[in-house]
Amino acid sequence: MKLLLVEDNERVTRFVVKGLQEAGHTVDNADNGREGMFLAASEPYDVIIMDRMLPGQVDGLSIIETLRQSGNRTPILILSALSDVDERIKGLKSGGDDYLTKPFAFGELLARLDALSRRSQGSGTQTVLEVGDLKVDLLSRKAVRGERSIALQPREFKLLEYLMRHAGQVVTRTMLLENVWDYHFDPQTNVVDVHISKLRQKIDADFERPLLRTVRNAGYMLSADG
Amino acid sequence: MAKVIRSTTFALSFGYIAFGIVALVLFAAPLWYAWQVTVEDGRSEILHADAQRLTEVFNREGVTGLKTFIDTRVGMQLPAERILMLADSSLHRIAGNMPRWPQTVPQQPGLYTVTLELGGKPTESVIVRTALPDGYNLLVGRDVARFANLTRHFWTGLGGAVAVLSIVGVLGGVLIRQAILARINSIRETVLAIVKGDLSHRLPTRRSGDELDTLAHTINGMLDQIEQLIHGIRDVSNSIAHDLRTPLAELRSRLEELSLTRPSNEETFAEIDAAVADVDRVIRIFNALLRLAEIDTGMRRSGFVQVNANELAAEAVEFYSPAAEIKDVVLSFESTGPVCISGDPTLLAQAVGNLIDNALKYVGEGGSVKVEVQSRSDGAVEISVADNGPGIADTEKPKVVQRFYRGDLSRGTPGVGLGLSLVQAVAKLHGGTLELTDNHPGLRVRMIFAPGARISGRPLIVSTGVQESDAVTAAVKSEPSALPL
Repeated sequence: MKLLLVEDNERVTRFVVKGLQEAGHTVDNADNGREGMFLAASEPYDVIIMDRMLPGQVDGLSIIETLRQSGNRTPILILSALSDVDERIKGLKSGGDDYLTKPFAFGELLARLDALSRRSQGSGTQTVLEVGDLKVDLLSRKAVRGERSIALQPREFKLLEYLMRHAGQVVTRTMLLENVWDYHFDPQTNVVDVHISKLRQKIDADFERPLLRTVRNAGYMLSADG
Repeated sequence: MAKVIRSTTFALSFGYIAFGIVALVLFAAPLWYAWQVTVEDGRSEILHADAQRLTEVFNREGVTGLKTFIDTRVGMQLPAERILMLADSSLHRIAGNMPRWPQTVPQQPGLYTVTLELGGKPTESVIVRTALPDGYNLLVGRDVARFANLTRHFWTGLGGAVAVLSIVGVLGGVLIRQAILARINSIRETVLAIVKGDLSHRLPTRRSGDELDTLAHTINGMLDQIEQLIHGIRDVSNSIAHDLRTPLAELRSRLEELSLTRPSNEETFAEIDAAVADVDRVIRIFNALLRLAEIDTGMRRSGFVQVNANELAAEAVEFYSPAAEIKDVVLSFESTGPVCISGDPTLLAQAVGNLIDNALKYVGEGGSVKVEVQSRSDGAVEISVADNGPGIADTEKPKVVQRFYRGDLSRGTPGVGLGLSLVQAVAKLHGGTLELTDNHPGLRVRMIFAPGARISGRPLIVSTGVQESDAVTAAVKSEPSALPL
């Protein structure tokens, strides 16, 4: 992926750029609003990572608004130390696609970038999702692995659907909480892990090749070559 | 002196005196006017009628007749009361009660107010001079001296009233000023003591319930709130210092040890991972505090929508049920049907989640946790989470909702001691209360939302599509399981 990072903190920039490059992405970075605006408007990027508070008069949200007004639809992930729900809503209203508060885990950032780039490629109208020999029919709401049909609770189905839509990508616990349960808070304990292990029990337990695996320090990934 | 003039009581009493005087004058002026007009009009009318009658006598009976008539009249009355005189063309007295024609009477016939010699002293009188045929002159008049007396009394009375009003007003103003100043000074002294840092001071109050007293009570209420907040902040600051110091100390020693011993790569990476976990713990505490601060400001009220408490709790139960299964705890849900409260769905879900999480944490293996949503007969909505765990001693109950407080039982369990504080803050934000009671055995925590917080008969705004029947009992039976985590 070709990414743009607009961030004024040198340390964060170094950390993010290095990590993203190691993950195989190309990263441009700008340390002020003006330069960020110029790069975002002139170069094609897969995802833009935008800090909210930037030096040089132009702040992150106004860059996003300007880009959106000029018809630029590049997915934007807002990175900010402002964590209030109101701030998050403000960020998403201005045209941002996702909002990550600082401090953040690098795995979380990477997983969300993957999810954003996938979203922009658009795979919305599929009715059957397939990963390896696991098939999920979104219309009849049935899951089948190999020859065996798997009975799932509604929420388990939703969880599996989300994982399958992001097959091959790392999905973090926070992403699952937000997208499967619509919970935007920290539930203190490892309940998501318990849900995942229940699901794993159902889809992987009796099969030789597990599809759902845990990615250390990040989250989970559903993939055929797991 | 400048201070006296600036003072409110001075301005007030001065104003009242001025107002009183104006009212007096407004009262007296029409009276005075009416009196003047009526008396003078009446007087001149009588004089003219008198003169007319005498003229008629003259016309009928001549000078001699009128002279006899006047002499008879004069003999019958007091000399000062009436002025009556007939004179010839050269103004020599023919008859009447005056020794001679007065000099001060003007030449032309008519009505005049003049000063005459009556009984040896000048007296103000009203007279009518009439010209009779053949050059005779007639003078009819009345002495107004007794009215002058009355006028004098009137003005003296009015002046006296003004003087009394002023004196009483000034005295009253001074007294009121002293009384109010004394009370204001005592308020001022208290406030100054508070400003200096002693928050325990309270304004003196009386039983009178007057305005100043009401104000003092209000201010005392405010001071109570401020004191509580400041103590809260102080406690929280201490707790933050303590709770953050622990993971930070661990982190520091971990990193220092790493730097000193320089172990093998494998071990280094393990230590770094542990260090990241330490930092995550600190971040978690910060996030919890920020959320509490966000709730405390009350800002979130702007985003209130209709929330189906029943559905919200059912979802939270469903979310936590796998965790309950693992602990071999029966987590059940019971409800009297859909009930709506106006609120923030995320915060309410987090609060219910925290309660379930807490209950699961303390209940122990094989226990049970029951979540109930009910619409009470008094219109309030109650969400309760009850467990049959060890419970909390009554003396501990008020403490567990304090920020960072961790009971003895919670010492070894994960968490930062903000869970119940958050639940309480959420309840408060929604105009509700939090109640901790004994569940015999165990703990029952109730969030009670007053009827005002609830709006019924409105369409429900619900984020997910899980439909619950009217009386849901979604008991999750547990089977001992060892799921790989």
